[in-house]
Amino acid sequence: MEKRLLCLGVCITVTAFILAFALIYTGVVPLAPSGNRPLAVMFLESTFNAGKWWLWAGSPEVVTSILWDYRGIDTVYETTVFFLAIIGAITVVRTMKIFPETSGKGSGLTVIAKTITKITFATIPIIAFSIAVHGHLTPGGGFQAGSAFAVAPLLVIAALSLRLLVERGWSKERLLALRTTGLILVGIIAILVPVLALLRHGIAYIMQNQAKLWAPAGLSAVVDLLGIKTLLSGTLFWLNLSEFLAVSAGLSLVFVLLAAPTKNFDKEVKG
Amino acid sequence: MIKDIVWVYYYASLILITFMSIYGVATRPNLLKKIIMLSILSDTANMLAVVLGYHILSPKPPVYPGGTFSTTEFPSQEQLSTFAKYAVDPIPQVLVVTAIVIGLAVLVFLSFVAVLIYRRYGTLDMRIVSKRAREEVK
Repeated sequence: MEKRLLCLGVCITVTAFILAFALIYTGVVPLAPSGNRPLAVMFLESTFNAGKWWLWAGSPEVVTSILWDYRGIDTVYETTVFFLAIIGAITVVRTMKIFPETSGKGSGLTVIAKTITKITFATIPIIAFSIAVHGHLTPGGGFQAGSAFAVAPLLVIAALSLRLLVERGWSKERLLALRTTGLILVGIIAILVPVLALLRHGIAYIMQNQAKLWAPAGLSAVVDLLGIKTLLSGTLFWLNLSEFLAVSAGLSLVFVLLAAPTKNFDKEVKG
Repeated sequence: MIKDIVWVYYYASLILITFMSIYGVATRPNLLKKIIMLSILSDTANMLAVVLGYHILSPKPPVYPGGTFSTTEFPSQEQLSTFAKYAVDPIPQVLVVTAIVIGLAVLVFLSFVAVLIYRRYGTLDMRIVSKRAREEVK
């Protein structure tokens, strides 16, 4: 058995090296490229280029711009896929009710761990919100912020108890409602510019952010907020906020459901 | 030449991790280990995509530096050309963000199914689970 495993390991390693060499030798993968491809240069140059206003997205963050502007519909459907996965997971455990009485009697970890968890529970949402609102300026965005936020309920479940979280109102229904609200907000922002254009008898396409030559409608990148000119990059800021709401509620819901005690399941699984 | 060997090593290690995770998915009987191997497989594929967007010209992140909420003066064409020369390719990163979300969706659903299987059969060993499931069908 040992000899067989060793032989398998050596074979796999040799095959991997031969494949890597072949991929480089035939030019399928680049070998230490010394510059960007033309497509990447096009995106990098036009995303924050106010001189070419018909191509720009009004945001210095190229990844977020491509994600929510140039390839916006792709991201909307990706959010939908994640939503459907959560819906599917809830369907699997649909008869399970999560109340404070039925969510176990976890006593949690030591006092030190509990105190530190209380402090971090306050700071994690602040950091996550900061990532979300700076999504169009710095690396990060709605999804990353939501993932960061979902660490907070996970920490509480591990260090304190699920019961505390449920007692504080993190119920299945409420989290699902927040998740759906986030997705609906994404949908509303997706059709916001076409609706605004229709009111003015213009043309616009779904998920449009900035004005284009052939569709001269769009939210302006710099918005006047109480007399202060603020760079919000059109729809990118609002899309990041809605995605943050959707992903944080969805992941929290997943963690709450996965942490529910076994006896809640027994009836439906064995019955 | 040394650099070439390093790049062969990068790609070879990624392909090696791919093979190992496929081996794990195929041979480990524990469902949890299968799921872990599947997530390693998808992460390796994402890593491969990110490596494809890398270049050796002192790479910078694909974010125009110095952007804040109070930015109202936009960079000129020359500044953007310099930025486009040194920043890494943003497109693989965008595809990877999308792929991570899809991978997470698969992971969420698989973990729920694993929890249900454990509560139904009391084990995650797929040999025992499939045997019992076959008996139940009969």
